[in-house]
Amino acid sequence: MSDFQGVWVITELTADGQLSETSQELLTPARRLGDKLGQPVTGVIIAGNKDVSAAESLLGQLGANQVLVLKGDKLSEYQVEAYSMALSEVINQRKPNIVLLGATTTTADFAPRVAIRTKGGLITQASDLDLNANGAVEVTRSCYAELLLSSVTASARPQLITVKKKAFPKPMTNSSHNAAVESLTPDLAGLQSRVKLVSIQQGESKGAKKLEEADIIVSGGRGLKGPENFHLVEELAAALGGAVGASRAVVDAGWRPHSEQVGQTGKTVSPKVYFALGISGAIQHLVGMSTSQIIIAINRDENAPIFKMADFGIVGDTTEIVPELIRTIKEQNLVLHV
Amino acid sequence: MKIVVFIKQVLDNTKLKFSDGKPVLEGVPMMMNPFDEYALETSLRLKEQAGGDSTVTILTLGAANAKDIIKKAIAAGADDAILLSDPALNDGDSTANAYALAQAVKTQVPDAKILVFGQVALDDAAGQTGPKVAEILGLPSITYGKNAQLNGDTLRVTRESEKGIEEYEMQLPGVVCMMKCDYELRSSNIKGVMKANKTEILVKTPADIALEPALVGAAGSATRVEKTWQRPAKAGGKIVEGADAKVAITQLLDYLKESKVL
Repeated sequence: MSDFQGVWVITELTADGQLSETSQELLTPARRLGDKLGQPVTGVIIAGNKDVSAAESLLGQLGANQVLVLKGDKLSEYQVEAYSMALSEVINQRKPNIVLLGATTTTADFAPRVAIRTKGGLITQASDLDLNANGAVEVTRSCYAELLLSSVTASARPQLITVKKKAFPKPMTNSSHNAAVESLTPDLAGLQSRVKLVSIQQGESKGAKKLEEADIIVSGGRGLKGPENFHLVEELAAALGGAVGASRAVVDAGWRPHSEQVGQTGKTVSPKVYFALGISGAIQHLVGMSTSQIIIAINRDENAPIFKMADFGIVGDTTEIVPELIRTIKEQNLVLHV
Repeated sequence: MKIVVFIKQVLDNTKLKFSDGKPVLEGVPMMMNPFDEYALETSLRLKEQAGGDSTVTILTLGAANAKDIIKKAIAAGADDAILLSDPALNDGDSTANAYALAQAVKTQVPDAKILVFGQVALDDAAGQTGPKVAEILGLPSITYGKNAQLNGDTLRVTRESEKGIEEYEMQLPGVVCMMKCDYELRSSNIKGVMKANKTEILVKTPADIALEPALVGAAGSATRVEKTWQRPAKAGGKIVEGADAKVAITQLLDYLKESKVL
């Protein structure tokens, strides 16, 4: 166990080659662990042939001690087998103790494969983590659709952990802090790339903010009576600077796209404020938003289950109350601080 | 073409009860993991698309009562089933389970062309098993699929990611993990139910599939659950009448001001 040293952060780049928000957030728990263990923090950038000097500097400013840049043609675009092979190779060579990654659809694709190749223990979707009394990372995560919380440790090394978006804030940047940058080109001999991206259609919602990252979400359900009334949800979301969500009922009815669905077979969200408009609150919906800090519900049925979970509720007709709410917000220039 | 679909039995989370920070098992119904239903429907559609003598084989790692969901899958149209079951397999994490399932594929369905998983199970929500089985078997994998179609000897998969809707092409044999699809699991008819009652579910133990003991259950796990506890319930909130919209909204705004978000 003790020949595994160091805390790594596997970063992801945005379309224009910058460090993603989630990657920046990972430096906070990485530094906490690194400080407690007395081990250095290394930011890993899978650069391929891209110029990542901005990301390299930012990692240093966010507190990384070292930056490792993985180069090579085959790593320029995301490809599951190339990423799995390259990361596993450097992890097996350098033996980090802890490897943190953001919990994204990309890491869901390759991290389990890396866990098998490195014989490490992978824990996904951490909402919190810290060092326990034995010097191992203890990860808090939820199961049974957010109803049960569990504390999980890795019995193998390296400890690989994917961390939920916004579980940690970004650290402050220190412009005078630099990290030592090392580049290497993993030997991808024997790589078989049998999965190929053919095309991509950027984002589906009508320009609305990404649901999973939103601090404010306005969701609509059957209580809106018809798709023609859903503009009320969109307008309230726009007035508050939030994202639009939907219940499964209205997605299945074809009123809204699946990308807006909040719930068991849709997205799990954790905003500061969640408006549930005309949503009854079936368990399958509740499990997708139960960790929202403030839940506001409007529904004409006073017995709707959503009211059990709401911090504030209005029993009434959603299609009458929401226009008034939008009007009031615009008139008074109200802004939610989240 | 041989298609294998992996289904898991989980507690019905709409009827969950907890005691001492753990889910109560007695008297709580089990169900097929919802994402495995999408995996199953995807498999049945791929079987229809492939035609000929294509088959769908169910592979489940679970307790004896997992036969209920297996029967449901056969009634929907799957052809045969293997239940990998043994107390020693309990308490395995996704690594141990992946080695067990991969070994079952190697020994029981070695000519499988498409391996279909649900993206994540409702209980532990790890989402790791599919790609791990792929890595162990040396196969390519795709996650977060919402549609899969055969295209010659490749699989065309529509995938939903943070970037948008992606179209992928994967060489077969390969593994695909399905999220919610645009289609639901088809319902079964009487004929299907009768077939399910007549079809023998093969039950296999680790020894039957030559699974190394070091890979089994807790011994073969790379992670450990230290403890579980129930998420603290929210305290009751304030509910007001909405007959007069203006009054109700004033009360809402007051609440938001008190909560310091306005």
